[in-house]
Amino acid sequence: MLEIRNVVASYGSVVALKDISFTAEIGKITTVIGANGAGKSTLLRLISGLEVATSGAIHWQGESLLGKSPESIVRMGVAHVPEGHAVIAPLTVAENIEMGALFRARSNKDDVKLAIGEVYELFPRLEERKNQLAGTLSGGERQMLAISRALVSRPSLLLLDEPSLGLAPLVVEQIIETIKALCISTGLTVLLVEQNANTALSVADHGVLLSIGSVVADQPAPLMRADSALRSAYLGY
Amino acid sequence: MNTLITTLFLGTTRGAVFALVALGLVLVWRGAGIVNFAQMGQAMFSTYVASTLIIKGYGYWFAFLIALAVGAILGAIVDLAVMRPLTRRSHAGVLASDSMRATVPVIASLGILGVLQSLAGMIWAAEERGFPTPVSDVAVKPFGKTAPFTKFDLFIIVVVALTLVVTTLFFKKTGMGLAMRATALNPEVARLSGIRISRVRTLSWAISGVASSLAGLLITPSANLSPNTLDLILIVGFTAAVVGGLDSLPGSVVGGFILGLLIAVINVYVSPDDVFLALLVFLLLVLILKPGGLFASKKVRNV
Amino acid sequence: MSSHKNPAARNLFFVIIFAIVIFILGADLDPYNQGQLAVVSMLLIGVLSVTLLTGTSGQISLGQGALMAVGGYASALTILNLGLSMWLALAIAIIVSAMAGLLLGFAAARLTGPYLAGTTLVLALALPSLANRFESVFGGDVGLNVDFGNPPSWLISAFGEIGYEQWQLYATVPLTCLALLATANILSSRTGRMWRAIRDNESAASLMGVNVSTNKIFTFVVSSGFAGLSGALYGLRGIVGPSVYPISLSLLLLTGAILGGLRSIAGALIGSALVVFLPDLIEWATRPLALSEQIGNYLPGLIGGVLLLLTVILNPGGIANVLHHHKNK
Ligand SMILES: Nc1ncnc2c1ncn2[C@@H]1O[C@H](COP(=O)(O)OP(=O)(O)OP(=O)(O)O)[C@@H](O)[C@H]1O
Ligand SMILES: [Mg+2]
Repeated sequence: MLEIRNVVASYGSVVALKDISFTAEIGKITTVIGANGAGKSTLLRLISGLEVATSGAIHWQGESLLGKSPESIVRMGVAHVPEGHAVIAPLTVAENIEMGALFRARSNKDDVKLAIGEVYELFPRLEERKNQLAGTLSGGERQMLAISRALVSRPSLLLLDEPSLGLAPLVVEQIIETIKALCISTGLTVLLVEQNANTALSVADHGVLLSIGSVVADQPAPLMRADSALRSAYLGY
Repeated sequence: MNTLITTLFLGTTRGAVFALVALGLVLVWRGAGIVNFAQMGQAMFSTYVASTLIIKGYGYWFAFLIALAVGAILGAIVDLAVMRPLTRRSHAGVLASDSMRATVPVIASLGILGVLQSLAGMIWAAEERGFPTPVSDVAVKPFGKTAPFTKFDLFIIVVVALTLVVTTLFFKKTGMGLAMRATALNPEVARLSGIRISRVRTLSWAISGVASSLAGLLITPSANLSPNTLDLILIVGFTAAVVGGLDSLPGSVVGGFILGLLIAVINVYVSPDDVFLALLVFLLLVLILKPGGLFASKKVRNV
Repeated sequence: MSSHKNPAARNLFFVIIFAIVIFILGADLDPYNQGQLAVVSMLLIGVLSVTLLTGTSGQISLGQGALMAVGGYASALTILNLGLSMWLALAIAIIVSAMAGLLLGFAAARLTGPYLAGTTLVLALALPSLANRFESVFGGDVGLNVDFGNPPSWLISAFGEIGYEQWQLYATVPLTCLALLATANILSSRTGRMWRAIRDNESAASLMGVNVSTNKIFTFVVSSGFAGLSGALYGLRGIVGPSVYPISLSLLLLTGAILGGLRSIAGALIGSALVVFLPDLIEWATRPLALSEQIGNYLPGLIGGVLLLLTVILNPGGIANVLHHHKNK
C-alpha cells in the first residue's frame, strides 16, 4: 500500500501541496486528477524523491520514502515516468531501455534480459527501432520508451505523469490498456496522473481529485466518474 | 618542403597531447557542468610524483602508472572535497542564481590550482626539472635518412590513439559508460533510472584526472617541469575544447589536433611570441562565428 | 536615521571618513607600510571592478589584470610621449581601458561562466605578447619607466616632509575615494538594480524590459575603466611592463573580492587589505618557526588558495557577510 499522510510541499514561497493524505491499494490503478497547477506532478516528484517535502510522511509497503534519494527509491521498486516523454534523445532506443536496468544489471543479469525482452514484446515498435536515436521517435513511441525504461526496473509501484500528453486518443488507449493488463497479470500498483479525467477514471479503480494543492475528493473511480456535480465544479465539463 | 613536413609532425604530436587535455576538460564539463581550471595543476602534481619516483630509481613504467593513479585520485578528491560540497550548498545566498552557479566553480578551481602549485613549490622546490622519455627522443633514421620525427613522437601518437580507442569503447560498450553519458545528458532521468549520479560524476573527475596526467607525462619531456609549466597547456586545451564544442568528446579530440597544427605553423612560420595572440583571435572567431564549436549541428547552444 | 533617506550623502560621509583615516594613519607609518597601504588603495579600485562585474552583474573575468595593463600602458605612454601630467594621464588611462572593455564586452555579452572565464584568461595571456611585438612602443619585457613625481609644495607645507611612498598613498587615496563613491552610487541606482536582476535571472530580467546585452557590455565598460585606473596607479610606482601585470594579478583581485565579500564595498575594502598584507602577516606569524625559504615563498599562495576554497564552500558571502550578520544580531 502507498500511504500519503499530511504531506506539505512548497517551492520557495509557492505552496504546491497543502496537507495531502490518501492511500493507493496494491495491484490497483489509482488516478490523481486535477486542473493545471493542482500539484499532481509535484506529488509524484515527492514520491520518487526528486523533490523534498516540507512535512508529512510517505510510505510504500511500510517503508518510508521521504528523505531518500531517487536512486534509492528506484531500488525499492518505485519507478517514475515523469511528465513529457522523458527519454534521453541522443541515446538509442536500446540504450534508453538498458539504462532503466543498469542498477541491477550485474546482480540480476538473466532477469534484466528477460525484462528487456518483455518490454519489446509489449511494444514491438520499439524493437523495430532499437538502434534508432530516441530523439527520432514519434511522441507516442517516446512515451512507450519512457514507460519501457521504467518497466525494466521491475517496479512494484509505477508512477505515470500524464502519459496521454500530446498523443492521439488511440495511442493513449493502447498504452493505458497495456498498463491495465500489467496490473492484472503482475500485481503492479499504478499511480496515474492525468488531465484527461474521463479516460483516467474509466480505467482506474480509484480516483483522487486535487485542487490547488488539496484533496477535494477521494473515492472509487466509477463513483467519481458518475458525480456530475464534482466534475462541473473542478474539471469544468 | 622539409620544414613543412617537420611542422606537420610536430603539430600532430603536440595536437595529440592537446586532445588529451581537451578530453579531460570535456569529460568534467559534460559530467558536472564545470570547467576545471585546476586540471593541469593536478597533472603537474602527478608528473612531479612520477619524476620523484624516477629520481629515486624506480622504472619509468612504474612511475607512469603511479602518476596516472595519482591523477585519478586527485580528480576524485577535487570533486569530493570541493565541488560536491559547493554544489550541495548551491541554493543558498550568493549561489542562488544560474550565473553564479556557473561562476563560483570556476573560482573554486582557481583556488585548487593555487593550492596545488604552492604545495608543489613547497615539496619539490622551484627549480625546473627535466623529465625522461621511455624511448629515444632523437630523430629516427630509417634507411640512413633523418626522418622528421622521433621514437618518442611515435610513442605519443600510439599512446594517445590507444587512449582514445579505450575511451570510446568504454563509453559505447560498458554499462558505466552508458551511465556516464546518461548523467551528462539528463541527470534527472538518469537518477530516476537508478543511476547514482554523484558517484558517476566523481568517476568523470577521476577519468579526467587520468587523461590530463597522461597529457602531463607526455608533454613534460619537451617543456621542463615546474609548478607553473602546464598552465599554458591548459589554455590551449580549453581553446581546443571550445573549438570542438565543449560538450563533444570527439569534437574535443579533433579540436586538439587543429590547435596542435595551428600552433606549430605559427611557431615555425610566424613567431613563437605570437602564439597566444593567434590563440585569442582564433578563440574569439570560433565563439563569434560558431559558438557551438566547429562541428555543431544546427542546434543553437547558449555559451 | 536621516542618512537612510539620502544614500548619496551617507556614501559621501563614509568616504570622507575613510580618506581622513588613511591620511592620518599614513602619516605615522614607516615608508614600507605606507607603500603597502598605497598598494591596498590602488588594488581596491581593481577589486571594486570585480565587485561590479562579478558580484553585481554575475560575469566573471580572469583578464582584469590585462585591463590594468591597458590602463598602465595608456598612462605611461601619455606621460612619456605627450608629456602630459600624471592626472591627465590617469584620466586617459580610464578612457582607453574603458574602450578596451567595450570591445571585450561585445564578445563577453554572448558568453557565460566558464566560456567567459577561459576567454578572458586567454586575453590576459595574449596581451603581454603585444609588448614584445611592438617593442619600440611598449618597451618589450623591460617595460616603461614612470613614477608619481614629486608632491606639490602646498601638500608639503600642509604635512611637512613627504616621502615617496607617502606621496604614492596621498595621490592614490582621493582617486580611490572617487571610485568608492562611484561604486556606491552605481549599486544603489537603477543601473545597479538592473545589473543585479541580470545576475539573478537573465530571462526574467529581459522579460521585465532590461536590455541584457547592453547592460552586460556597459558593466564591462565601467569595470574596465576601474581596472584601468587601478593599473595606471599600480604602474606609476615605477615600471609599466609585462612583469608588473602577470596573470596572478587577475587572480589576486578575484581572491580579494571573494575573501572580503563579493557583493559589498566593505568586502572589497577588507579583501584588498587582506591580499596585500597577508604575505606580511604570514611572514610575521611564522618567523619564530624559522621556515625554509622554499616553504616561506609558497606559504602565502597556499594559505590564499585554502582561504579562497573555504570561503566559496563555507561562507560564499565573504568576511563582510559575517560582519553584517553580527551587526544585525
Ligand atoms: N520548480 C518549480 N518552482 C516553482 N514553482 C513550481 C515549480 N514546479 C511547480 N511549481 C508550482 O507548483 C504548483 C503545482 O505544480 P505541478 O507541476 O505540481 O502542477 P500539475 O498539477 O502537475 O499541473 P499540470 O497539470 O499543468 O502538469 C504550481 O503552482 C506550479 O506553478
Ligand atoms: Mg504536471
